[in-house]
Amino acid sequence: MNDQVSDVDTSGQSDGPGTAVAVASDAPPVVAADAHVALGDAHDNHPTERQYVLIAVVLVVITSIEIATSYLNTGHTNLIIVALFLMAAIKFFLVAAWYMHMKTDQPFFRRIFVTGMVGAGIVYGIVMFVFSSTVLKT
Amino acid sequence: MAQTVVTAPDTDPAVTHAAPAHQTNTGVSNNKLAIWVFLASESLFFGAFISTYFLYRGRDAHFLKGPTPTDLLSVPFTSVTSFVLLMSSLTMVLALAAIRRGDHRRFRIWIMATAIFGMTFISGQVFEFTEFYREGLHLGTNLFGSTFFVLTGLHGAHVTIGIVWLLSLWGRSMQGRLGAERSEAVEIAGLYWHFVDVVWIFIFTAVYLIPQH
Repeated sequence: MNDQVSDVDTSGQSDGPGTAVAVASDAPPVVAADAHVALGDAHDNHPTERQYVLIAVVLVVITSIEIATSYLNTGHTNLIIVALFLMAAIKFFLVAAWYMHMKTDQPFFRRIFVTGMVGAGIVYGIVMFVFSSTVLKT
Repeated sequence: MAQTVVTAPDTDPAVTHAAPAHQTNTGVSNNKLAIWVFLASESLFFGAFISTYFLYRGRDAHFLKGPTPTDLLSVPFTSVTSFVLLMSSLTMVLALAAIRRGDHRRFRIWIMATAIFGMTFISGQVFEFTEFYREGLHLGTNLFGSTFFVLTGLHGAHVTIGIVWLLSLWGRSMQGRLGAERSEAVEIAGLYWHFVDVVWIFIFTAVYLIPQH
């Protein structure tokens, strides 16, 4: 987004759509947000409605497979659990990437969200390991 | 004084919808930044309850008596409500696409469809909770009751908030106070709604689909 920033002297006013002006001084730069693209809304890259429907079909198919898998009685419970979480992860990825526009939106937003997700994974991974091996060991 | 100009070339004012004028010192939309930070914190919030459910899962027999997941959970019923919630994500993005191109009629149809799907999901959850209560499972009956009601109940509360949010957008659109230039408001509500959907993807797997002991 900021890859087209250049230091120049201007009047300090926005030059209209597509241009935002920030003042690089001691104060934090303030950007007039009338230029939506400059703020990272790459709407032109957003999926088409046809793609949205296609993603929905894929989600329904995966969910159907998930439900069918949960009824399998193979005796390989751990394998079924891994398969179910793998399919849940694929569904999560599809919704986040396409419907939440993480695929096309500002990478900055993606990093914030992924940081939260990874943080949660690490924190609760440790919690589950510690508690299941000590506090709740029966 | 040195000044910095941020230029977005190839920006056609006729194509690019303008956001309502607001200030930012980060270079990104403050509202979108706020919702993404909120959603990141929500990951930690729901992570706590999902991991707690897993920690206590299958320990009921050792500690407490009462109805167990095998006795109560109905995968076919919850599968239907899960499909409904998944489809609400589709109608949500269709609503966003509609308002971006200024099609207010379709926007109102899709946003209302999303809210109705959400209400259907919540109705299913209320029915399920009522049935479980009738079967003798309360919040304090056993570990399953505590973790199940807290986890799915908090998710249901999030869905309910989302429904109110969607209906408020529909109302603003009906009053003509939600133009294409305010599509970011719809996008932010959509991000919240999709997040609630992805959380359910994991709750559905963790609570309903994983084989019970």
